[in-house]
Amino acid sequence: MRELVIILLVLIAAPILGGLLSGIDRIITARMQGRVGPPLLQPFYDVGKLLGKERILVNQRQVLWAIGYLALVITSLAMLCLGSDLLIIVFVMAFAAICFVLGGLSTKSPYSHIGSQRELLQMLSYEPVLILLAIGVFLQNKSFLVKDIFARPEPLLFSLPLVFVAVLLILTIKMRKSPFDLSTCHHAHQELVQGITTEYSGPYLALIELTHWYELVLVLGLVVLFWAQPVWAGLLLALAAFFIELVIDNICARMTWSWMVKLTWTVGIILCLVNLGFNLI
Amino acid sequence: MEMAEGLIAIAIWLPVLAALLCYFGRSYGLRNAIAWITGIALALVSLALLAIGPFDYQPSGILGVSWDQVVTVADFALLGLILYIGLKNKHALITVLTLIQLVVLVYFDFFTGEHTAVNPAFVIDNLAIIMSLIINIIGSLICIYGVRYIAEHEEHHPVEKSRQPRFMFWLVIFLAAMNGLVFSNSLLWLYFFWEVTTLCSFELIGHNLDKEAVANACRALWMNMVGGVAFILAIVYLASSLPGQPLAIRTLLALPGGATGTVLFAVALLVFAGFTKSAQMPFQSWLLGAMVAPTPVSALLHSSTMVKAGVYLVVRMAPAYQGTYLSDLVAVAGAFTFLAASVLAVTQSNAKRVLAYSTIANLGLIIACAGINTPVAISAAIALIIFHAVSKGLLFLSTGVIEHNIGSRDIEDMGGLVDRMPVTTIIVAIGVLSMFLPPFGMLVGKWASLEASTQLPLVALMFVLASAVTALFWIKWLGRLMEGEPGLARMKPEKMAPHYVVSLGGLALGAVVLGMFVVPIMNKLVAPAVEVAYKTSGLFTQGGAIVAQTASKTIGAFTAWPLFVVLAVAILAFWLLFKPEKASIRPIYLCGENTGELDSTSFLSTADQAVESSLSNYYFSSSLNENKLNKVGNVIAIMVIIMLLGVTVI
Repeated sequence: MRELVIILLVLIAAPILGGLLSGIDRIITARMQGRVGPPLLQPFYDVGKLLGKERILVNQRQVLWAIGYLALVITSLAMLCLGSDLLIIVFVMAFAAICFVLGGLSTKSPYSHIGSQRELLQMLSYEPVLILLAIGVFLQNKSFLVKDIFARPEPLLFSLPLVFVAVLLILTIKMRKSPFDLSTCHHAHQELVQGITTEYSGPYLALIELTHWYELVLVLGLVVLFWAQPVWAGLLLALAAFFIELVIDNICARMTWSWMVKLTWTVGIILCLVNLGFNLI
Repeated sequence: MEMAEGLIAIAIWLPVLAALLCYFGRSYGLRNAIAWITGIALALVSLALLAIGPFDYQPSGILGVSWDQVVTVADFALLGLILYIGLKNKHALITVLTLIQLVVLVYFDFFTGEHTAVNPAFVIDNLAIIMSLIINIIGSLICIYGVRYIAEHEEHHPVEKSRQPRFMFWLVIFLAAMNGLVFSNSLLWLYFFWEVTTLCSFELIGHNLDKEAVANACRALWMNMVGGVAFILAIVYLASSLPGQPLAIRTLLALPGGATGTVLFAVALLVFAGFTKSAQMPFQSWLLGAMVAPTPVSALLHSSTMVKAGVYLVVRMAPAYQGTYLSDLVAVAGAFTFLAASVLAVTQSNAKRVLAYSTIANLGLIIACAGINTPVAISAAIALIIFHAVSKGLLFLSTGVIEHNIGSRDIEDMGGLVDRMPVTTIIVAIGVLSMFLPPFGMLVGKWASLEASTQLPLVALMFVLASAVTALFWIKWLGRLMEGEPGLARMKPEKMAPHYVVSLGGLALGAVVLGMFVVPIMNKLVAPAVEVAYKTSGLFTQGGAIVAQTASKTIGAFTAWPLFVVLAVAILAFWLLFKPEKASIRPIYLCGENTGELDSTSFLSTADQAVESSLSNYYFSSSLNENKLNKVGNVIAIMVIIMLLGVTVI
């Protein structure tokens, strides 16, 4: 019963939260760029408008993969809230991202192909850090279960500070923010058409947008794990991380994918290893 | 003879008889009938063994001669045949390695005195039953596929005198050797069957008789003969260090306090033999070379036979080397191969080579699990053996179908296959997704192996990196298959021969259904096989979830069925909610410079010239060079293997 309530909450509350965060993102970003910016609810207006547009497609498999993407992102968020195994959550997240990639690859469009290939490389970049996060949690808790993190009195941040920095690094990739907004991005001046979502429009693009709201809540949820008790502290930590990402987004230009892979496979992984090494001693 | 014992006789002798009929019958109709009948019979035999459960079997002699003597004579005949092959091909390495084995065998048989007889010679335990299910169900499906495939193959590559009979002979007899291998308790019998599988793969890899095929077959032969030398040396060492005790797997696993001293060295040699057969680095090149053979051979070698014999031996021996440095180094060697082969797979555009590197990587993972050597890790290893056999068999067989249809095995030639061969593409998609994603079976093994690896940090790190790379090479391939033309028409299924429908359909269904029933599989099949030596399987079920435990503390949990429900809901939602008639089709976006037709991928360039756009995957050729990586990898792997053998001596 409790599980059902949590799942329903995730289904309904997460997109509202994600949409609001997305609105805050646009206002703060606009202020940083010396603009006034749109109203807070603009993302909801946008999605509403998209839903009413003509249904245009290249072929129907795009829709299938988009639905898969949405379903699996919701699933991983629900698993996180239900306190499941962190490793499995990471693997379900990977499946979700793969659906997104395959959606982009399901036409012969060169633009969405470039975006999809880059999304794959983004996965390659953040996946090791996410799994190392799970292992780091295990070394602290002797358990991969998220619910055991919440049962732990002191915050993980104090034992896993460097892993936290690495997670901030990949958060930029997961949120598709500069300098890692390679597969698709919101800054028109540096985008190759619309990257992985080039061939999506109207209601189908709205579906992707909705998924991104869930995804935003999901990745910020991973930040909450670093200060799970009391949970309001974790939420503050997540908001702070969110703000830092916006600052980074606005002071950086897009970099190349090879730089991203090199950075995460050196700095990101080494940060985790040094941290875990100290924990083991 | 009791029924159970009769089943063992059938499992070994029926394929031999079928192989001979295939060879001498010389008609497609006969081979076809034999493949179907033998396949069904063998599958039923393995299911019957599962129903009966573990038992021992000591076959009585034949015509007053004991089977031990028959095996000894057969050993010499086999080595004589391989020696002849070495001499005929003027291949010094094969010749020398065979001579060494002959000399050691003569020394062992005639100069080391009387050996204690092994009784029982066959032990059919839970692990053997799992292996026999894989061999006799998946292997049989591949033989059924093979009978049709090789007929088509000869249409594509005409030969004067049909070589189909000899092809089917070696394909089917492989199953007999594998059955004997996994049932054997006697190390000498195991050695005999081990060498038969080596010979079978030599004959099958060289099937096409061209220069490349013969060269690659010879490479496979000499590399596996290196393992053969290690195996026979291990037997001699064991005979001298365990005087008066039968040379049997059971003896090794029952040693109080595990293997030590020269016994441990002998165990290390057996593990090394397993490495050669499982194409672990630095022996990976023989399995890649085996790609020249017709596809059913690759499917058989990679999924249910040959390479699985190697990991079987390593996993089988695991309790004997538990808690030793050897065990840790086995884990490091396996994990290194897992990582290196995964990175190598990224550089490949040949679909069969991608599959080959992925096999080598997964075998590395299995071996690493054996090296980690905790109950959870061994459970993971056995689960991986089962699920890998299904998914990899499926992927090879579908690649074969694609190759016969488009005349290429290059991924770059498979763009948009979903429009031309939708059924095959969906089957490949099932195969690919079931290789590394939840909720499919392989992921259970991968998850458990990661959870078990945390006590060996270096191994854990290599697992993490390799897992991240895995998605890259799989999705690059699947993505190319998936790129479709504009249009909303329902896909028209392509026509397939009944052989292909049964083998591909059976394995695809297996990949999904086995994933759904992962809980009973882990409970009823895997757990008993682990509990024999480890008291516990480390994995338990709790309300539909698989729970990993160490020292009675729950460390992780995996529930597969909710994910299957989610996937089913997603597909149903698409099926029910998506209305093609309400959507309209547009060409792909090319900045408005598209040329005319809806399905055109060309755009108007300078002076309104139409230029075709083309798509291609990343292969990272500037930063990752296959040859260099292989060289560096081999050096590291050789060092690890030297250490691995070394720690047992000091």
